Amino acid sequence: MAARRALKAVLVDLNGTLHIEDAAVPGAQEALKRLRDSSVVVRFVTNTTKESKQDLLERLKKLEFDISEDEIFTSLTAARSLVEQKQVRPMLLVDDRALPDFKGIHTNDPNAVVIGLAPEHFHYQILNQAFRLLLDGAPLIAIHKARYYKRKDGLALGPGPFVTALEYATDTKAIVVGKPEKTFFLEALRGTGCEPEEAAMIGDDCRDDVGGAQNVGMLGILVKTGKYRAADEEKINPSPYLTCESFPHAVDYILKHLL
Amino acid sequence: MAVWSERLAGVRGVLLDISGVLLDCGAGGGVPIPGSVEAVARLKQSQLKVRFCTNESQRSRGKLVGLLQQLGFDISEAEVTSPAPAACQILKERGLRPHLLIHDEIHSEFDKIDTSNPNCVVIADAADAFSYKNMNKAFQVLMELENPVLISLGKGRYYKETSGLMLDVGAYVKALEYACGIEAEVVGKPSPEFFKSALEVMGVEAHQAIMIGDDIVGDVGGAQRCGMRALLVRTGKFRPSDEHHPEVKADGYVDNLAEAVDLLLQHLDK
Repeated sequence: MAARRALKAVLVDLNGTLHIEDAAVPGAQEALKRLRDSSVVVRFVTNTTKESKQDLLERLKKLEFDISEDEIFTSLTAARSLVEQKQVRPMLLVDDRALPDFKGIHTNDPNAVVIGLAPEHFHYQILNQAFRLLLDGAPLIAIHKARYYKRKDGLALGPGPFVTALEYATDTKAIVVGKPEKTFFLEALRGTGCEPEEAAMIGDDCRDDVGGAQNVGMLGILVKTGKYRAADEEKINPSPYLTCESFPHAVDYILKHLL
Repeated sequence: MAVWSERLAGVRGVLLDISGVLLDCGAGGGVPIPGSVEAVARLKQSQLKVRFCTNESQRSRGKLVGLLQQLGFDISEAEVTSPAPAACQILKERGLRPHLLIHDEIHSEFDKIDTSNPNCVVIADAADAFSYKNMNKAFQVLMELENPVLISLGKGRYYKETSGLMLDVGAYVKALEYACGIEAEVVGKPSPEFFKSALEVMGVEAHQAIMIGDDIVGDVGGAQRCGMRALLVRTGKFRPSDEHHPEVKADGYVDNLAEAVDLLLQHLDK
């Protein structure tokens, strides 16, 4: 990596990287402090369809991470930014727990559809309302397009199939806002004053975190915690800039070699 | 229009779509599209052979025909090609035991089918039964199969009810296809086998037949791919953009079935 500029910003994934469910990755709090003591700006980025920023923050505080709300950028934040940018009034097909992230957004007489994972809203009549809005030209904004996820009682449909259903019925394409979309990483950097070439992303998802970040010109650092499985680093081309045991190792490397 | 005589030359048989051409369905059954009752009657009095070809899977064939008769249409069950009976035949031939994601109204069509220990999923226009829970159940059945088989009765995007446009089975088929990474087998329009079986019963060759429907892709595109001609009516689910469809161009666009029948009878081979 010859002509790279000095590192000015680091994006960090949450679940799987800083913590795994309700347990912190050993040494992660202390490593984060060291990173903050350096010259780089730190932002936290995550794909979530149901946890509001407030929920995330509470969990992080419990785990004794020093993080403030305005440093967190989620797929819900990205959806909200897009709604504000387009100045539309969305029909919100999201989990009720995600609603605080859309506080203040006008939703009466909707002219857009925001869709996340919301089994309780995925009834025929409600999806049909969304369908009719889309036929009238409303944009379809998808938090992400996961096919399915694991629940205690087995596999369950994610938002992706329902996004696909609406896309097919209306012959349109959804705007997907979460990782690994380029706009997600660029939006997360907005406000830091840094270019992608001056930023790195640390995460446990080789495709969505590392691949996505590298696609916009950032350095991608894969950690072997969370959902990481052996040989994940071979899933993308070019391969990750760096693969480390865990978040503290990634921080050590950054402090030593990238500043 | 002289051009119509060329476009309609040699037509001996007519396939009619039902929903959106004969009637608009809705609460309490449906309402006939103006002029369609008389148009069907005139067609049947002519020398043209007539058959009805529908993807209706929210009502049984018997219920649908009963409703049409009530509205004044001259139609009998034997004149209707519909997907549920065709699907039953496929299930029997291949020893498939379906998990059924279908509307309560058509369960009777699957009375004689073994549904224990399912080894495939059959999906039809289930309307309100397309809940997350029911979709998830079908998804789980498919994911547990080594060779997931998904059979869909039609693949329409949407249809028209009196209250407005409604999501059709195709949207939900796409959802399951995407979730499981599979492709459904379609029984019904636009599958060529389905059109061919209707033509066989009529005893008419594809090049002598014309399809009249309100679905530019399912009716018009599907029929044309079988070598038939096809007219699009500006009733039912028709939207002005359908006349500029990027892939499908109808052999003619007419305001309604009545106009189509006027033209057909006017240009009949004497």
